Amino acid sequence: MPDFSSSKPRPNAARVAVVAAGIVSPLGFGMEETLGALREGRDCVTPVSAFPVDRCRCQTAGQVSDERLAGADESHRHPERLHRVARMMTLALKEALAQAVDFRPELTVMGTTSGGMTFGEQYYRGLKASSAPDRHAASLIANYTPQKPVMDAQEAFGIGAPCQVIANACASGTNAIGHAFDCIRSGRYQRVLAGGYDAISELVFVGFDSLQASTPDRCRPFDSQRTGMVLGEGAAILALENLEAAQERGATILAEIVGYGISTDNHHLTQPNPSGSGPRQAMEGALQSAGISAEEIDYINAHGTATPFNDAAEGKAIAELFHRVPISSTKGMMGHSLGAAGAIEAVISLLALQHQLLPPNINFRQGDAELELNIVANKPQTSRVRAVLSNSFGFGGTNASVIMRSILA
Amino acid sequence: MSLRIAGMGWVTPLGSGIEEVWNRLVKGETAVVESISSPLGKDYPVFRVPASATAQAPAHPRLRRSSAISRFAAVAGLAALADANLKLDEKSASRTALIFAVSNGGVVYTKRFYHDIVESGAQAASPILFPETVFNAPASHLAAILGIAGTSYTLVGDGAVGTLALKMADDLMAGDALDYCLVVGAEEADWLLCDAYHKWRLLRSAPPIEPFQDPPRGMILSEGAGALLLGRAGSIEIEKIFSGPNFSHRRDAPAALDKVYAELCHTPPDLVAASANGTFIDRAEHATIAKHSPTASIYSAKQALGESVGASTLWQTIVAGQALLTQRVPGFPGSTPIHTALISACGLNQQTAGLRLSLPKL
Repeated sequence: MPDFSSSKPRPNAARVAVVAAGIVSPLGFGMEETLGALREGRDCVTPVSAFPVDRCRCQTAGQVSDERLAGADESHRHPERLHRVARMMTLALKEALAQAVDFRPELTVMGTTSGGMTFGEQYYRGLKASSAPDRHAASLIANYTPQKPVMDAQEAFGIGAPCQVIANACASGTNAIGHAFDCIRSGRYQRVLAGGYDAISELVFVGFDSLQASTPDRCRPFDSQRTGMVLGEGAAILALENLEAAQERGATILAEIVGYGISTDNHHLTQPNPSGSGPRQAMEGALQSAGISAEEIDYINAHGTATPFNDAAEGKAIAELFHRVPISSTKGMMGHSLGAAGAIEAVISLLALQHQLLPPNINFRQGDAELELNIVANKPQTSRVRAVLSNSFGFGGTNASVIMRSILA
Repeated sequence: MSLRIAGMGWVTPLGSGIEEVWNRLVKGETAVVESISSPLGKDYPVFRVPASATAQAPAHPRLRRSSAISRFAAVAGLAALADANLKLDEKSASRTALIFAVSNGGVVYTKRFYHDIVESGAQAASPILFPETVFNAPASHLAAILGIAGTSYTLVGDGAVGTLALKMADDLMAGDALDYCLVVGAEEADWLLCDAYHKWRLLRSAPPIEPFQDPPRGMILSEGAGALLLGRAGSIEIEKIFSGPNFSHRRDAPAALDKVYAELCHTPPDLVAASANGTFIDRAEHATIAKHSPTASIYSAKQALGESVGASTLWQTIVAGQALLTQRVPGFPGSTPIHTALISACGLNQQTAGLRLSLPKL
């Protein structure tokens, strides 16, 4: 078991402010559209058209409109060369920088699972189809690499900060925010960009389908009849800054990140320990890091993929640690965006804090009798929200939790 | 707070075992280049890890179906722990983080998995292969073997990613929650990678790799793993690690690398363990070394071991560490006074970084 004895906040630890945010997801482009979708409990999962899915069990996903992506990106000299996930990242960064014009990060920490994977697929299909050299091959290879989308996004705004790109499967986005939080809290950094990005690709879509982790039904997190996940995509970013420095320069403080927990569940490469020990350790670590009790958490944005195993393990851990705290997984609305999920859900948690809103867990019919959980079923609720915990868990046994709270709390 | 290298391990085309490979490098040996054939009828040169180098891989269930990259990482990681005489138990594992650096990742299984989809359709996709295609699969296997249940990160990037992982470890060790960070970089070779780097106009069609030759004639890919156990005690001090800026175009690489050297060359180092590999990197690195450390001995291990991308800067760091400990530099006859060494990392896809080592003062 990880030793959390030293993860408590030190008396002189720096506090970490969120000073700006940006998001592109199936729920919309930007914070305002995202808030609108959350308030409506909008189901943004649609049939997949980018590649053939007729032989797949699942045929739907949460998808970002290519038409809107193409029309919205004016930041690059050669946008046609970029992967669509680089465009998503660029738009998310653009939104964040509009709120914090002078924000110049010393470090960027991002999460992804597959970066520009569809360029790799295109390259491989090109190889199989023809022996003639593809004149676009070099560009596909250079832009396929997982770190490239964030570097493209930074380049569009003249930012050259070194990029640490975490590929901890579906926990990547939360790991990125958590590590960025640690970097500022330690006093080593003043300003760090953190977030995540991923786009749907055939390889990943078919991969989850092959595992029968994705569903032909609707995605129903924590429902007793849940049958699996649907995939999603998107990009989201948070601009984090030393709170004192941000206040000194008069920055608008959107929220404060106060805790982060990480654990590695060695039970199996793809399945969590049924005891829920991995998620529990991550959540306990986040609470201890924040120096707060479970009773102080007002809302949990769950990982909630709607796979039988994940929801059982996560639900068990939540039920053991928290007493009837409102919980929702927002993946029913937009799918699971893998490396972007933690970042997108951090922005949703931020919106929950800002607007005193509990986002809905849609497609919910009946609670799992094995899990004693207080699900925000189908419709959003208005509630006092001062502190939010957001979970992300992934292949490889990676588990991450972050806690964000209102600056006035 | 002092950061030291407590243990080192590697798996390379010249074998495994720090002393064994180091002695071969000092003797001027170069790994044997093999030919790898693509099904499209083209052959590429590549440096492969000999089977004997992973003979001591643990018989752990996690490695039963894993790809070569996971076995390389396991052997190198365990060797680094053994080098530091560290046996992880539940308590020490809870205070040890694993940082994994990778660029191309588990390409062999990824290609196989996608090949089945392309050839036979989605229904042919293997649920056994898919989990091994995920970038953090090798780190997950290694964490399970070592019993690390706390912090584990897999970083992706270009050839500088190993140094970025060391920087992440440095940041993590700034707190008091950890006693050790095990940093591992690993890659496996495949014809698909060779084809891709060839089309990217970075690959040479036949050996040798000739670092710093002008004009650059290209690199040869290799595979293996490097592992460094970082702690607060050890025989090599890490003075500073610096993550450099990104460069948008190859022509901007010298300026980005210049910022790395400016941070690390407050006094010129005695040795530069270079990342030169026969590509555009060489010119950038040559100009920067000439400006900041013109008197340093310069050595690129890539002429002997090839370009292993995600593992490369960890190999460079091990080379620099061995030079400090033995006062020898491959290619320089006899003993050479080495008090400080700079490890330079200029990646092929826009990232830069570096670090500086020295022997701890008594």
